[in-house]
Amino acid sequence: MLGLNCKQVVARSSALIDGELPFWEALQLRLHMAVCKGCTAFVHQMRVTRSLTLAAGQATPDDDAALAAVLARLASEGRDAG
Amino acid sequence: MPGIGSDREQVRALIAGDRAAFAQLFRQHNAAMVRVATGITGSRAVAEEVTQDAWVAVLKHIAGFEERSSLAGWIFTILVNRARSRARVEGRSVSFDAGGEDNSLAAAFDGRGHWKDTPALWEEITPDRIVAGRRMLDVVTAAIEALPPGQRAVMVLRGQQGLEAEEVCAILGINEGNMRVMLHRARLAVRAAIDRLER
Repeated sequence: MLGLNCKQVVARSSALIDGELPFWEALQLRLHMAVCKGCTAFVHQMRVTRSLTLAAGQATPDDDAALAAVLARLASEGRDAG
Repeated sequence: MPGIGSDREQVRALIAGDRAAFAQLFRQHNAAMVRVATGITGSRAVAEEVTQDAWVAVLKHIAGFEERSSLAGWIFTILVNRARSRARVEGRSVSFDAGGEDNSLAAAFDGRGHWKDTPALWEEITPDRIVAGRRMLDVVTAAIEALPPGQRAVMVLRGQQGLEAEEVCAILGINEGNMRVMLHRARLAVRAAIDRLER
């Protein structure tokens, strides 16, 4: 199917969504995706995965106890952060 | 990720002993540091100790930060070096290699490399649902925590903390090709976990 098969598109999908593919290679993938619903869906899934990964990293845990422990240790070792 | 300009301001504040600046930096990176260190040490409790050690080292040596990397890159370098040393002391061998060929999707293709079954479009996953649906983010976090150490570190540093590719490579001592392979494999594993939830 237009040069690349689906397996080859999947192997390059991360590089595609990260904008790291050379122009002609990215064009080959886009031409393949124009006629392949499976690869279009897969690349969409990889974009969603990237967004969810970022969102999961931004969830703020309750770090107050850990922060207090570091500050206490610094104070006891003679280097106060405040 | 903060740029060098804001790094400089943060460093100046830390040297001056600004507690609020430290708290902000801590909240920005601590959870990610624990996640990376847990992958390397194999223990959440040990990772928390190592992360605390790393923070103490950061503040003790902050005046020596030379801007050869971003502040985040410098902090994670200290963390990874400490986590690897601790793992070595405990007889744990940690490799950040990409490993052999990835076969996680091998069964998805026919002999000509075309899909056997078309992947779903994930139409149910919308930005609103992502924000509201804590469970989805928990699934993603659990999938990241189940990754091998190298993939987990690359996913956290590049995919969550937004460090530059060269910086991630320098921190982990890997080349850019390996880093891209690990990031791709990590994403495939997380994608598979989300897909299981969607079915």
